[in-house]
Amino acid sequence: MKKRISDSIRRVDAFDKAGGITKYISDMDFEDLQYGRLVRALRSHARIKSIKSPKLPDGYYFITKDDIPTGGKNEIQQISNDWPVFVKDEVLFYGETVGMLVGPDRQKILDLEDAISIEYEELEEAFSIDEGLALKSGKIYGEDNCYGDYHLNKGDVKKGFAEAVTVFEEEINTGYQEHVYMEPQGLVGYYENGKYVIIASSQCPFYIKKAISPVLNTDQDNIVIKQATTGGAFGGKEHFPDIIAAPLAVAVDVIRKPIQVVFDRKEDLSFTAKRHPSRGIFRTGLDAKGNIVAMDVDVTINAGAYMSCSNIVLQRAIFSINSVYDIANVHVHGRSVATNAFPSDAFRGFGAPQGLFLAEMHMSHIARNLGISPVEYKRRYFMKKGDTTITNGIMHDEVKLEEMLEKVYAAGSIEEKLAEYTPGSGRGIGISFYQHGAGFTGNGEQEIIKAKLKMLKHGDGNVEILLSNVEMGQGLQTTFPKIAAQVLEIPIEMISCDNPDTSKVPNSGPTVASRSLMVVGKLVERASRELKERWDEDEEVEVLVNYIHPEGCEWDQATLQGDAYPTYGWGVCAIEVEVDPATAEVETKGIWTAHDVGVAIDEMIVHGQVNGGVIQALGYGSLEKLDYKDGKFQQNTLADYIIPTSMDFPMMSSQLIENPYENGPFGAKGLGELVFDGGASAFADAVEYAIGKKVYKIPVTPEYIMEVKNRD
Amino acid sequence: MVKTFHPRTLEEALKIRKDEKAIPLAGGTDLMVRFRSWAGTQPDFPWPVMFINHLSEIRYIDIQPKEIRIGAGATLSEVEQCSEVPKVLRTAVSQMAAPALRNLGTVAGNICNASPAGDTISVLYALNARVELTSLHGARQISIMEFISGPGRKDLGDDEIMTAVMIPIESFTHTLYRKVGTRKANALSKLSFCGLAKIKAGRIDDIRLSFGAVGPTVVRSVETEKKLIGLSIEKLKELYSEIRPDYVAMVQPIDDQRSTAVYRKQVSLNLLDQYIESLTMES
Amino acid sequence: MTEIAFVLNNKKISVEAEGATRLLDILREDLGLTAVKEGCGEGECGACSVLKDGLLVNSCMVPIGTVAGCSIETLEGLRNSDEGRCIIDAFADSGAVQCGFCTPGMVMASIALLRVNAHPTIDEIKVGLSGNLCRCTGYDMIIKGVQLASERGEGIW
Ligand SMILES: Cc1cc2nc3c(=O)[nH]c(=O)nc-3n(C[C@H](O)[C@H](O)[C@H](O)COP(=O)(O)OP(=O)(O)OC[C@H]3O[C@@H](n4cnc5c(N)ncnc54)[C@H](O)[C@@H]3O)c2cc1C
Ligand code: FES
Ligand code: FES
Repeated sequence: MKKRISDSIRRVDAFDKAGGITKYISDMDFEDLQYGRLVRALRSHARIKSIKSPKLPDGYYFITKDDIPTGGKNEIQQISNDWPVFVKDEVLFYGETVGMLVGPDRQKILDLEDAISIEYEELEEAFSIDEGLALKSGKIYGEDNCYGDYHLNKGDVKKGFAEAVTVFEEEINTGYQEHVYMEPQGLVGYYENGKYVIIASSQCPFYIKKAISPVLNTDQDNIVIKQATTGGAFGGKEHFPDIIAAPLAVAVDVIRKPIQVVFDRKEDLSFTAKRHPSRGIFRTGLDAKGNIVAMDVDVTINAGAYMSCSNIVLQRAIFSINSVYDIANVHVHGRSVATNAFPSDAFRGFGAPQGLFLAEMHMSHIARNLGISPVEYKRRYFMKKGDTTITNGIMHDEVKLEEMLEKVYAAGSIEEKLAEYTPGSGRGIGISFYQHGAGFTGNGEQEIIKAKLKMLKHGDGNVEILLSNVEMGQGLQTTFPKIAAQVLEIPIEMISCDNPDTSKVPNSGPTVASRSLMVVGKLVERASRELKERWDEDEEVEVLVNYIHPEGCEWDQATLQGDAYPTYGWGVCAIEVEVDPATAEVETKGIWTAHDVGVAIDEMIVHGQVNGGVIQALGYGSLEKLDYKDGKFQQNTLADYIIPTSMDFPMMSSQLIENPYENGPFGAKGLGELVFDGGASAFADAVEYAIGKKVYKIPVTPEYIMEVKNRD
Repeated sequence: MVKTFHPRTLEEALKIRKDEKAIPLAGGTDLMVRFRSWAGTQPDFPWPVMFINHLSEIRYIDIQPKEIRIGAGATLSEVEQCSEVPKVLRTAVSQMAAPALRNLGTVAGNICNASPAGDTISVLYALNARVELTSLHGARQISIMEFISGPGRKDLGDDEIMTAVMIPIESFTHTLYRKVGTRKANALSKLSFCGLAKIKAGRIDDIRLSFGAVGPTVVRSVETEKKLIGLSIEKLKELYSEIRPDYVAMVQPIDDQRSTAVYRKQVSLNLLDQYIESLTMES
Repeated sequence: MTEIAFVLNNKKISVEAEGATRLLDILREDLGLTAVKEGCGEGECGACSVLKDGLLVNSCMVPIGTVAGCSIETLEGLRNSDEGRCIIDAFADSGAVQCGFCTPGMVMASIALLRVNAHPTIDEIKVGLSGNLCRCTGYDMIIKGVQLASERGEGIW
């Protein structure tokens, strides 16, 4: 009998990784390797008056903007190009790159770094969302410091509010979060056969290529990016490697020797981008029966000193602001605000975790005000197939939240427990619902990415899959070949899918937005089918496939109207907690989840994603406090930035629901981010239940719980 | 380049200590982290360093009739696993860092680091521990409370090495150690509390209360404890509210990257209340 | 520089080094043993775990000067042993490996645990792994990997 695609197999990369054989960027050997260290401006907002550097010994370089090749631009080509390679004149955030010291001996580099002195003229600083909006430090971006300023309208809010008998207002906030990929940022650059080569621990090799080409003033064909096995990324290696690659490329152009830039942990914690902090201000109108008749939400995110991908993060945040609920009349105002904070960037979920947290807490709070259980209240509004989405598109999915909720209740004996614990008793259960639009927003795949993929059958019958998506722990080097093996009916050992090299693979797009398995995996499936048909055509067969946009998915990017996503993953998460009366420490007693990811390509890999994602989200919701003060992240060691250990949370229950998506391979949908989306709000909800008071922000630390308990 | 020494005997170590003013490095778990530099470069020690953890003269745990002597070279793991060591200290040690770190770190290093958040220190205060400091001129013993005078400040001569920690053998009827850390494992303390009491026939024969990480040094007041000693449990119930303000005044924590002053203070007092209540309940 | 002699993966070796140099750097850079990873350099993550005289330690906190006369084992020395193979297989079969950066350290911590406790409970496994951070897996499958190695490794541990 043919095996089900979901049946688990051993990951192809597991053995070499567990044996310590796999080489990561800092494990690689290069002849005559030089070390690069970024020299930073240690002011949040200032004009640089002068930079004095010591006399450099032979073989040492201080690379600055003056070294950018003729015709090259001091701009990193990302989604926007406002982030410069080296500070132009004005420093806009603490830690901005001024230059790069390069040389063979690291101690000498440190000594040289100490001897560099930068003179500044200090300028006014703006760090918070409100300070940014008030132009406290002047105009960082445009006229109003808003990189993005969007409105969404569904139904008729005005009319809705006219029907309201009460209006409930509140503000909810989420904090920064650091990725803590266990392998810090790292790249190596060199010059070979007339080409600039960068080996990178990254998610998007083609992004780097595009980012540095205008800096070097060279055609993209002269740049080769090779993917190094990546020790975790979570969005932190989506755009940020560009920021290192650009000065590195300039250094390579000057020095023409292999140069390694690997951050150490403190540097990584202090000077890399984080998840956007967010604020939601809700005004919700209720009728006499407590039904929601209108909702007006103001969402702002702290984007920091450069735009990077903040507007797309903002879009996801506002698209998620009704969570899994169909609310009839809604207006959302969303702004991504420029400040002198470190630029915020992509992080697993990309704005959705923020939007969903705000939404879930607000819905729970309305229910609690009405004296109704949050679950009962939320169920009334569950989105159903055919309903209108917040962007006035159509929900094409069969929504199976009820079934999932039932499974979670059964696994956790939730009913019985809720009957036993009373609110404020110190024990509580929180339940969150969530969805994640899989893949790029709207028609991004069609308009921007245009993924291509190649498959080769070699003379020996082995098959090679050529694409640009990277293995960063999520299992693609297993799941892509597994899809091909299932279609081709050959053993997976005959199929390879190696770390991409941009000079060899077609651009199948970045490894982001939970798109890889669903979108690119579909291309693998299609290419495999074609290859199967043409298998006997020749000794060697090459198949090339292009992305095809699903039918019935209309989107207008200018107005943000239509089907924002072709399909959604769905989740339910229940958390049980006990709050210590003396210390307000929270013991998590149980975690039960159910997810609809279409069809699991490999159940073990999916459960691994669920487990990792939920724990990371629980860290976000409970432990991972990251304060920004005077331009600096205050928790800049792993002793102070607290992520979960093996002892912080209990082992969890993870169930899957099958709900095949026709445009995904074997019915699979995106899931990598979905599994992050519900942990924080379930935790906060559980704490609210346990202490009998409302919480308005994450992380819900013992300090904050104590503060809330002292309230009134 | 940092000068390092690898003495073969304690005697040699004491000579190096005197002549070179080298700093002792036991497990190195504080020093190597505090002075760490860029990968591939040496730690940035501002003085010469002398390794001592291999010295057999200080690598022991000795049980004597009246006291336990923990040699300065004994690792946290060895202390944790030694069943003769007071349970309360072993509990505190077992909650420090993680197994790998406990295989390196030492109690002496924890004391000499003199951090207000040092987890063995609040327990050793309560246990009336003494430390032995040795130089070429001989050894002296002082109480741990005298030894530590502020964050990082201690009464260690520049020719001295701590050679042992002495803990009187005593028994208590009511013991509580509670560490409130940044998470459940591998965590530094936001605060800690240690309560030890000997209650006989409804009367407090002895009581010791100490608080970690809520002031420049561990907070313990023998004066205030004296007010409690000799009280009957009934009297304790009555008088506790008059004595409690002493601790309200003494516990003076700060805000930092790990916690807040308000939280630290409130939780310290909550734990104190809880402990005092446990005394009154069980009798 | 001084010459420091020690036993590495059951072979006597000696290195020329400054005594304060981290064992981690000697292993990775001088000796090419890159199964030992640097995840933090501050004792927090366990990616640099090795065995020193049979005990699990973080090599980022060990000055090479303190290694003189000691025995050091790294994953390179253990991966082909019965213990190493048992754990590596069990990890691979349990889904314990994702990005893999924490994994060599996890394997070392598991070996250290199983050597002294061949049949650990879940709570004991959690303690044994508590100094090793993993950001990908959420730990459940690593814990299951250790359980599986304990079951399969009857007689090895
Ligand atoms: C990841 C991590 C987690 C940690 N967790 C905890 C924790 O939970 N609780 C806690 O309290 N601490 C913790 N620490 C701090 C540290 O591990 C402990 O303080 C440990 O006990 C220090 O012992 P050591 O032998 O390693 O000290 P070392 O680093 O060797 O020395 C520390 C100081 O003591 C001096 N010293 C050492 N021995 C002597 C001696 N014999 N005579 C004179 N001076 C001496 C040294 O010169 C130095 O100033 C942690 C550290 C890390 C890196
Ligand atoms: S690198 Fe040594 S513990 Fe992280
Ligand atoms: S597998 Fe990635 S950190 Fe553990």
